[in-house]
Amino acid sequence: MNDIIIKNITRIIIPFAQMYGIFIILNGHISPGGGFAGGAIIGTTLILYTLVFGREKGKKKFSHKMSEISESGGIMLFVIIGMIGMITAGAFLSNLSGGFPQGQLGEILSGGFIPILMIGIGIKVTSTMISLFNLLIDEEKL
Amino acid sequence: MNIEQLPIINLILFLFMALLIPLLKRRPFKITLILGFIVMCLVLASSSHLLWHVNEVGSFSYTFGGHEARYGIEFLLTPFSALFTWVIIILAMIIYIYSSGDATEGIEQSEYGRYYVLLFILLLSMFGILYTNDLFNTYVFIEILSITTCAIISIKKKKDTYTSAFRYVMMNEIGSLSYLFGVALIYMATGYTNISMVSESIQVAFASYPFNIVIALAFMVIGLGIKAAIFPFHIWLPDAHSSAPSTSSAILSAIVIKVYLLVLVKILFSVFGIDILEQMNMPLILLILSGTAMILGSIFAIAQKDVKRMLGYSSVAQVGYILLGISLLSFLGLRAAFFHIISHGLMKTALFLSVGEIIFYKKTRKVNDFDGMGFIMPVAMGVFSIAALGMIGLPLTSGFISKLNLGIAVLENNYLVFLVILIISSLLNVIYYLPIIILAFLRNEKYHYRMTTIEKTPRTMITPLILLGILIVSLGLFPNVIMPYIEAAVETFIS
Repeated sequence: MNDIIIKNITRIIIPFAQMYGIFIILNGHISPGGGFAGGAIIGTTLILYTLVFGREKGKKKFSHKMSEISESGGIMLFVIIGMIGMITAGAFLSNLSGGFPQGQLGEILSGGFIPILMIGIGIKVTSTMISLFNLLIDEEKL
Repeated sequence: MNIEQLPIINLILFLFMALLIPLLKRRPFKITLILGFIVMCLVLASSSHLLWHVNEVGSFSYTFGGHEARYGIEFLLTPFSALFTWVIIILAMIIYIYSSGDATEGIEQSEYGRYYVLLFILLLSMFGILYTNDLFNTYVFIEILSITTCAIISIKKKKDTYTSAFRYVMMNEIGSLSYLFGVALIYMATGYTNISMVSESIQVAFASYPFNIVIALAFMVIGLGIKAAIFPFHIWLPDAHSSAPSTSSAILSAIVIKVYLLVLVKILFSVFGIDILEQMNMPLILLILSGTAMILGSIFAIAQKDVKRMLGYSSVAQVGYILLGISLLSFLGLRAAFFHIISHGLMKTALFLSVGEIIFYKKTRKVNDFDGMGFIMPVAMGVFSIAALGMIGLPLTSGFISKLNLGIAVLENNYLVFLVILIISSLLNVIYYLPIIILAFLRNEKYHYRMTTIEKTPRTMITPLILLGILIVSLGLFPNVIMPYIEAAVETFIS
């Protein structure tokens, strides 16, 4: 797509949309939203970038290797957090009994490990969105 | 850390292995294979220990995050789940060793990693289905299982595999959703999804909301029936099993459809209980389905010219045998069904793997091309013959023991018709298995020149086949080695 209006507006929109996605991920445990919704928003901005600037430039921003690492890494973060609970409290995914701080109700740093899990889910969903999209583009060329 | 952590550690090991494979993509593929083998050995060790523990010390439950079972997810380790996870990991290991040769026919080199990712997620979901004690959690694992199965069918990038994978995913989605609908209706009537709590309150719920329970049972049986390829719902199976790579066909036919049958057992015996089933006349319906499956599955198999399609239809008939054992609702019936699940798992794995080796080297799938094959590939064809004779039910093989047990169980309930059907179905098995063996071993004069073309098969492909042959025969000679464990597994449902 070689249109200067679309390119400039995309450049302006993407940082705001990504900030909003990060906000939704971080506030997942105290307000509507969460890792999946926020991850989908960030993934959509990456898809928008690929649509406007083309697959080659999109690859530079978010390479295949990076999507592999973040896709595995997102789940691994989740499982490792779960295993900490297993070691400290004797049950997989133990939250407060596993020694995670409760924090002040309504603050971002509260609810034990739930914000961390949300980040893990967010990373995973973001990379899944963009890699599914890339897969569909690459399939067309075959 | 104590023994109660072992089930979840098994699942985490599978998950970690599946996640590691994409990261190891740029390293030599051997590292992945060795790591995967180590993971499987660890899981085998822990499953064996769990099997010993539940039989000697007693079953135990495990709750996630320390929440109570009714709020959270509960894993229940009974002799049933321990036994069948142990069987699954043994079969999976044999198939894994076989596939680490270059028997992954038709898969591109770059797809190998993806194949093993799918294999480990498949194992994860099957272990989860067997361990979990929660109806909704079972649904989640079932969904993971059917998506992975679809991907493993369509991994060969060909047109016909895509068609059969699409048919598979459509049929199975109907199955999953009807199961989910059944769970929703049970939740509506009882207020729980935890199986032990549902079973406590289902009698009361049945008195006040009979329609809910009847519809829930119907939806669950049909949903799981589609997934387990019980006769009128089997149409996806032969296509899917014949177009997938041989190792995946072995996994699908020997393990995956059995897992759905085990879920059916769990649903029928633990959730609804024998009283409700008998009031609804469920045994009769299941008996009729199993009888038609046993006869018609075998008749369809006779008509096939493609070996793998033939084996697929044979699976339909064998599912009928297992369903017959389940639907007798007796101790002996369930014992025979469980034994047949194990012995059919071994025999079907042996059949698919030996056929896979023949397809890999001879590039032929036609039944007629098996003339003189016994002289070209003696080991593959020998194991094929042992397994085929087991399917027919000749003595010295595990198939004989399971048919004997089924016959005893049928006679106990005085269903003479089903004994006749059992014998007719065995005779039909003879019609389609025996000609292959005869062709392969007895017609060699005309094909004598082929003797010179004996191929060198890698040891990783030969060893699992020999192991399977030995296991089939030894299970037929000494069934009492495994019988105590099977009886303990049956006792978790019928005391």
